[in-house]
Amino acid sequence: MISCRDFISELGNLLDDDVANEIREQLQAHLAHCNTCQVLYDSTRKTLHIVTESGSFEYPGPIAEPLVTKVMDRIRAGCQLPNNDAQES
Amino acid sequence: MGFLPEMDDALSSESLSALKRNFGLTPKIYRAQLLRPDLVDAQVHLLDQMLFTKGALSRVQKEFILLAVSAENNNSYFPALHCQTLQFLGIKPEQSQQIAIDHREANLPPPDVVLLNFARKLASEPHSFTDSDVESLRKSSFTDEQILEAVLMVGLTQLLNCIQMGLGTEPDFKPRVIFPLKEVNPAALLERQTLEPEFTGDFLAADPDFEIVERVRNGETDAFGELVRKHGRRVYRSLLGILGKPEETEDALQDAFLKAFQHLPNFEGRSRFSTWLVRIAINTGLQRLRSQKEVDSLDEENEEFRPRNIQSWMDTPEECYSREELRRLVEKEVMKLPVKYRVALVLRDLEELSTEEAAAALGLSIPGVKARILRGRLMLREAMVPYFTKVSASKS
Repeated sequence: MISCRDFISELGNLLDDDVANEIREQLQAHLAHCNTCQVLYDSTRKTLHIVTESGSFEYPGPIAEPLVTKVMDRIRAGCQLPNNDAQES
Repeated sequence: MGFLPEMDDALSSESLSALKRNFGLTPKIYRAQLLRPDLVDAQVHLLDQMLFTKGALSRVQKEFILLAVSAENNNSYFPALHCQTLQFLGIKPEQSQQIAIDHREANLPPPDVVLLNFARKLASEPHSFTDSDVESLRKSSFTDEQILEAVLMVGLTQLLNCIQMGLGTEPDFKPRVIFPLKEVNPAALLERQTLEPEFTGDFLAADPDFEIVERVRNGETDAFGELVRKHGRRVYRSLLGILGKPEETEDALQDAFLKAFQHLPNFEGRSRFSTWLVRIAINTGLQRLRSQKEVDSLDEENEEFRPRNIQSWMDTPEECYSREELRRLVEKEVMKLPVKYRVALVLRDLEELSTEEAAAALGLSIPGVKARILRGRLMLREAMVPYFTKVSASKS
């Protein structure tokens, strides 16, 4: 029977669905009798769902063309690749 | 591929679990032996008893012996694997690399230097090994139990090295040091190594940006705009996850793409262009952060994080808030995480990079990045508890 510590060390893999069937069975057996790990697993899974669905830190819409233009203008201004930087400046 | 077929299945769950816990993957040397899974189990049990478990010698000391003796044998496989393992244990790759090349110059405590002198001599000159060698350890305050473990670790390393060489197993990670070393100038060798972990595997095989990158490298500068359009949102998100301020993020995004363009001649295609680009973006973001205030160290650390606030959550917590409220809440709490966990979490759970890609982008081992991602998730969960528990629901 695995311990709570073992469960937490495998929690990331379980959340990522990256565990072998035999290990998954052991983890599920642990969850069936350990309320603390059950709550931890459930709340961490819900946290991840909220994070992935929240759209956090997203750039609003497609990358704006003025931003592409700014980047390309800066590149063209110093248009040479780095080995030539010294000659450019 | 080595001399015998490598397989992924047939390994017992105990062995699989022990290998994944300690290496983050099933090393090829064991996958190449799965015609006899019972014998792999026996070896993993041996590793568990002799290496993975702390004995009279520390786990790190035992790993040092494995690294130094493998290097003494001109074996490239185990130094590659165990540099990663040592990184997970908090030892910097540069120091592990130096132990492989010459442990006397690796800035180790004097007793560890004596220990590795002992181990290398036993491995390379067993016929001239005498009780005076054992005495050298006693003089450095090693106990007889520790000396026994040192001898056993040398023996274990010889066994592992012999198995690997017999199977022709290729490294799981790109070796930092290619042996044999003895005929070459170590300084020159250092120059041609990469100090960044590089991973081999299918995720690196086909780069969808290869063609555009080649056009830019052949002088078609304007084609770089396509890469900005294609990857701008990902770079923006990585940077905003580090910096937290949209205006500053736009400036940093420009800097990151400019750096990527300038360094494109150095891009060797050992990772995907997008991974390489995110790595540049992360470094750009961190540099900005450092210029503003002290950034917590990005080094590995091993202290354990214990979740504290264990209360049941609502069944569908996301329904209690609007999407906009959730976005603001997540951004606020993610920004409170220490930067090393924040960046790992942003890459894995917001950018949805694979674990391998996140490891490559952050220059970490797979176990190292997994540990950070899990820590970030657990810390964020902890921060979210007040908003989503059943108690908070009944209050609202």
